[in-house]
Amino acid sequence: MTSPAHNTKADQLFSYVQERCLWQFFSRTWDRKENIEGIVNAAGELLTGKQPPRHTPMEKLFYADAVIMVADFRQRFPWIESENPSHIHEILGVLKEKLVDISITNSKNHELSHSLY
Amino acid sequence: MPMVLLECDKDIPEREKHIYLKVDGEDTRDFLPVSNAQTIPGTLSERGCAFCGAKLVIGGVLKDTIQMIHGPIGCAYDTWHTKRYPTDNGHFNMKYVWSTDMKESHIVFGGEKRLEKSINEAFDEMPEIKRMFVYTTCPTALIGDDIKAVAKKIMQERPDVDIFTVECPGFAGVSQSKGHHVLNIGWINEKVGTLEPTITSEFTMNFIGDFNIQGDTQLLNQYWDKLGIQVIAHFTGNGTYDDLRCMHRAQLNVVNCARSSGYIANELKKQYGIPRLDIDSWGFSYMEEAIRKICAFFGIEDRGEKLIAEENAKWKGKLDWYKERLKGSKMAIWTGGPRLWHWTKSVEDDLGVQVVAMSSKFGHQEDFEKVIARGQAGTYYIDDGNELEFFEIIDRVRPDVIFTGPRVGELVKKLHIPYVNGHGYHNGPYMGFEGFVNLARDMYNAVHNPLLKLAATDIRVKEVVAYREAAE
Ligand code: SF4
Repeated sequence: MTSPAHNTKADQLFSYVQERCLWQFFSRTWDRKENIEGIVNAAGELLTGKQPPRHTPMEKLFYADAVIMVADFRQRFPWIESENPSHIHEILGVLKEKLVDISITNSKNHELSHSLY
Repeated sequence: MPMVLLECDKDIPEREKHIYLKVDGEDTRDFLPVSNAQTIPGTLSERGCAFCGAKLVIGGVLKDTIQMIHGPIGCAYDTWHTKRYPTDNGHFNMKYVWSTDMKESHIVFGGEKRLEKSINEAFDEMPEIKRMFVYTTCPTALIGDDIKAVAKKIMQERPDVDIFTVECPGFAGVSQSKGHHVLNIGWINEKVGTLEPTITSEFTMNFIGDFNIQGDTQLLNQYWDKLGIQVIAHFTGNGTYDDLRCMHRAQLNVVNCARSSGYIANELKKQYGIPRLDIDSWGFSYMEEAIRKICAFFGIEDRGEKLIAEENAKWKGKLDWYKERLKGSKMAIWTGGPRLWHWTKSVEDDLGVQVVAMSSKFGHQEDFEKVIARGQAGTYYIDDGNELEFFEIIDRVRPDVIFTGPRVGELVKKLHIPYVNGHGYHNGPYMGFEGFVNLARDMYNAVHNPLLKLAATDIRVKEVVAYREAAE
């Protein structure tokens, strides 16, 4: 069960992502899922003092998107610095759910699950 | 607030599904305009045809390629010289137009022989050019001319030439968007991987979906050169046919126009495992973000920060001068699709300008998801808007300036509202740091130009004639 405080914090991050990040709006369901998963996970590593892997081309891409987002998070939401790792993961987990909900599950975009590009 | 049925649309109520007014607290789960759908009978659409999307937007940009249009002369005229995409080789693409000039007898007896003759004639006339795109149009598609067979025959007879065929007649889709799609998918399936590039840097990328409008590509290329990144192919600004055959060798695909060119980036990821990074190239904040992301991908962050500092030192003061004078201005954006979401936040953040209405000709729902997420509440989001709707929306939101094409631009001038060319630009380039200062300058000149207000004054009478008169 997510605490209301974490939910409010996840809402702030969600508003930022909606406004700034094109990766949540890729063409198909599977691209959106992959981006949300990869980039938010990389952000979680960065926010908890770890280095996400940067070996494969996709890992490098997730890192590039995440590192810019995390820098903005730190600047816009100073509370993020004082959260402990388990809170960070919990908040980012809620963020992920919100992104999946708006860009996939409840998206009104009719092209999302077309099998071809 | 649900979707909006404008007064002028009362006889075509289906238009309600295409016009949205955002209200605080709503998001794209609540409402999303219908888009990329057939134009409703009764509405005078501003759209182009599917062939136009392939030729005018993407193919015609290439600097070393003959664009053979297999159809009546009008198809060629309609897609020539209306976009300003210069090249660094003397603007070959803008100087010439090629058409098979189909007449009634060719339609009756078939046009393949005429196409063959025209292709040979074009290559003979321009012996230094060895590359060609051939397009079908409505009439030649309807009579079933096999342009692929003709191209194949000529490539056998002339082994030094290479020809790409685009079978996307005007009626193939609901707007120019279909032409983008067909060309993207055709190119990846038929041409990518047929040539190997010379690699000159350890960092390589394709830059996808920028068309060198008034030099956009050339401006951004200064950045990539400074960063030491080799751009293997530009899809298609200032680009060459053969560079585009080498796209499979890039380490990264950087996508600016996701609408016209997202398909090829997706396929390059699927078929060759090259990641796709979407960026915005208009605006200081976005351009900085794009440079930082590209550099983070390659692990050359220091170079990126140095470039950003240099560019800010050169241009930020100028941007701020315009910001001071543009703050609070109201802007409408009526363009193709992506510029709505590229621009709405960048003019707000970098210039203090408020975007009050946006209309897209060929955007899909993906584009509306992006723009509604980024745009303000109280703003209208319109798909495939028509003239009467524009008049009514202007009445509701009273913009100080409208970024749109010359056709609609001339129309709004009659209402004494200034327009800036949102497609081909007034005095571009508009991308990058320098470019956004150019955009700000053109917007400033439009908003503060006293001429349009003076033109609304009838000096024969004492009182000012209402500007509405022109619309009535
Ligand atoms: S709609 Fe058909 S006939 Fe008209 S310009 Fe387009 S391709 Fe040519």
